[in-house]
Amino acid sequence: RALGYSPASLVPCRIMPVRWNRYNPSYLEPEVKKESYQKPLEELTEEEREHMELKAVRPIKAAPPSLSSSVFSDPMISKFTNMMMKSGNKVLARSLMSQTLEAIKRKQLEKYHKAPENEKETIECNPYVIFHQALKNCQPIIGLSNITKGGKTYQVPVPLTDNRKRFLAMKWLITECRENKHRRTLMPDKLSQELLLAFKNEGPVIKKKHVLHKMAEANRAYAHFRWW
Amino acid sequence: MAAPAYPAWVTRWVSGQWRNKKRPPALRPPRALALADKVANRREQATEATCITEMSVMMACWKQNDFNDAPCAEEIRMFYDCVAKAEKERKNQNEDTMSSRGNLPSSKVNKLLKRFPQITRYV
Repeated sequence: RALGYSPASLVPCRIMPVRWNRYNPSYLEPEVKKESYQKPLEELTEEEREHMELKAVRPIKAAPPSLSSSVFSDPMISKFTNMMMKSGNKVLARSLMSQTLEAIKRKQLEKYHKAPENEKETIECNPYVIFHQALKNCQPIIGLSNITKGGKTYQVPVPLTDNRKRFLAMKWLITECRENKHRRTLMPDKLSQELLLAFKNEGPVIKKKHVLHKMAEANRAYAHFRWW
Repeated sequence: MAAPAYPAWVTRWVSGQWRNKKRPPALRPPRALALADKVANRREQATEATCITEMSVMMACWKQNDFNDAPCAEEIRMFYDCVAKAEKERKNQNEDTMSSRGNLPSSKVNKLLKRFPQITRYV
């Protein structure tokens, strides 16, 4: 279809919006998990039965391409991959992510085979577990926000939402890996190193989190400036 | 002989108050003597910050344990619970009409008054 300006009289169909498509509020979210469809009818609770009846009547939104029903898909990993992506190069970001997970697995297997028998159970080899635990260790518990009172701006300690914590943890990891590495090291190596350090509660990202906590602790007198 | 009981206006006339233009004030109200359909905009008092005690307990625990999260897990859990509760309270409060101090905010009062305006004339 030729893209160009055509006068409204010649174009019979409407232009469909590509971004920011706003659905009617009656549209429901698509259910992607296979387990929810394999449950027999009797096991469902009242709310789930009502939800199923509603789905028979209401239209359903189109599933976005990032949503998948495969066992290998993880929403946190997808979010991290998207944050690593530059100028839409999802192929590169995804390959970097898989190389990072492979590097983590390799390093942990090396340690596993070198370790004596009694320590072998303590070594975690699953890269997904390591990734999740490292992210959890990097999440700050309390944040600082600028509040202006009487003409002066103060840094006030403020509780953060879950989304904000996850975002900050991922952002710190990525910026750390991009900036503080030797010119020749590749991203997967540096990221795997940082993730393993964060898994053990060491490393520069954990230090950054501690710095934030210390600043919040120092400014705890200003906590009353909050109004929520 | 007892003092004769004259009506009040006679005494006043005789005393000459009205000649000196000391008359009762003629009321000329600049606005109608009726309640208006809106309230003045009052700046709503800021609510206090929530979860300060939990936060200070958690920070004391941090100071003792050199900002490690593992020994302070209980305090952190309590802080998160308090934050979740406060957030839920805030969400519910916006649907109800009464604020925590018992006064309706001026915007809501104006909306109500607009629905039931003062009747100025009968038709």
